[in-house]
Amino acid sequence: MSLFTAEHLHKRFGDQVVLEDVSLAFESGAVSGIMGPNGAGKSTCFNVLTGLHRPDRGRVTFDGEDITGLAPDEIARRGVSRSFQIMTLFDEFTALENILVALPEVRRGLGRPFWQPRADAEAIEEAREVLAQVGLEGRAGTPAAALPYGERRALEIAVALAARPRIVFLDEPTQGLGTEGRARLSALIRELRHRYTLVIIEHDMGFLFGLADRISVIHWGQVIAEGTPGALRAKDRVRAAGPGRTP
Amino acid sequence: MTGPPILDVRGLTKVYRRGWLSPQETFRLEAEFTIADPGVVGVLGPNGSGKTTLFELITGSNRPSAGQVLCCGQDVHRVKYRERDRLAIHYHQSYQVRRFAKRLPSACLQRARSDFPMVHLFDEPQFSTQDGYIGFMLDFFRALRARGRLVILCVHPNEAFQVRILREICEGYIFVKDGRLRRAPSFEALLEDPAAVAYLGALAKA
Repeated sequence: MSLFTAEHLHKRFGDQVVLEDVSLAFESGAVSGIMGPNGAGKSTCFNVLTGLHRPDRGRVTFDGEDITGLAPDEIARRGVSRSFQIMTLFDEFTALENILVALPEVRRGLGRPFWQPRADAEAIEEAREVLAQVGLEGRAGTPAAALPYGERRALEIAVALAARPRIVFLDEPTQGLGTEGRARLSALIRELRHRYTLVIIEHDMGFLFGLADRISVIHWGQVIAEGTPGALRAKDRVRAAGPGRTP
Repeated sequence: MTGPPILDVRGLTKVYRRGWLSPQETFRLEAEFTIADPGVVGVLGPNGSGKTTLFELITGSNRPSAGQVLCCGQDVHRVKYRERDRLAIHYHQSYQVRRFAKRLPSACLQRARSDFPMVHLFDEPQFSTQDGYIGFMLDFFRALRARGRLVILCVHPNEAFQVRILREICEGYIFVKDGRLRRAPSFEALLEDPAAVAYLGALAKA
């Protein structure tokens, strides 16, 4: 059984249909990719999967349970973590503090202002470990604002991991990264895939082709193609043959 | 194929007028054609020639001044608004549009006789050579056709590769100019029309 599924999702905003009958399944331990041209409905799809938007019709399940329509924090508590296309770090906090505030027990510590996380040694130890997972152990004391762009993206992923998720959704992680940053991110994801179930949205095909076990192509709010990178690459004749020529 | 044609456009007319006391006709679209079988048809024509109006009339988002649009034998304009997308869908760029010209209450209209769309109209799909998605898009059109659907592609070609895409995928063409339609069974036949050649310009040789 798949760890996370979406069944016949429909979503419209006004007179625009952004998801029509979208069904997806993400296997435990796999890296799943969602790709499509800009504006094709990828991020909306993520938002529906992680509870930010409620689907008009259809069902989302996680670990066999129906999570359709649950609040995003409730879905997150069950072990579904996500990053955003736009950065969501606390700039003035250090890398370590950004992780600390995302740790479940620190988040649960009520009664204190959120900007004074009273972290004990155990939590700090765990936060360091999470930073190490994304290769930022040497940056623990650096304010997020002072990190180079690629490391900020890595820190974002670390924040998603701090919640001890069972599945992690990454929304356009290569956004804004150069060739070198991409290569580093790709190596990082290769590391993480041994520990987490990952779902990655990407516009850039090359990146996903090298990483994902299965890819769904979304366009016009529908899944227009689906398969392993190998099978999809065979269909992606355009790159090889040039447009308009049949191989 | 037996049964009614997938798309049957009969005496379809849309007239736009301006002015109240003595209205002046500003635009007139006239269409009459039948497409019996599944396929991929390209629609070409200058901006303002009536391509989008034609699409709106086929999906039922715009009301004709006269005439009928029959999709598998059922008049689209007599179908309940929320069920019209089971006959024809309008895709604009990268999303789908559902907007209907409502006149009668839905209760006075018929149920759709189909459970899924039979006609898929793609209005200016964004073909970009940069991202490599064209192959998937063309395969999707072919998959729809294989499932017995009619795919209508409206493209306003600016570059040679867009014409090559049309020539690869389309089995027939409709050229729209000044609100009038001309059908051509092939690209070569399309080029017998001087107006189409003038519109395509250098791209006619692509």
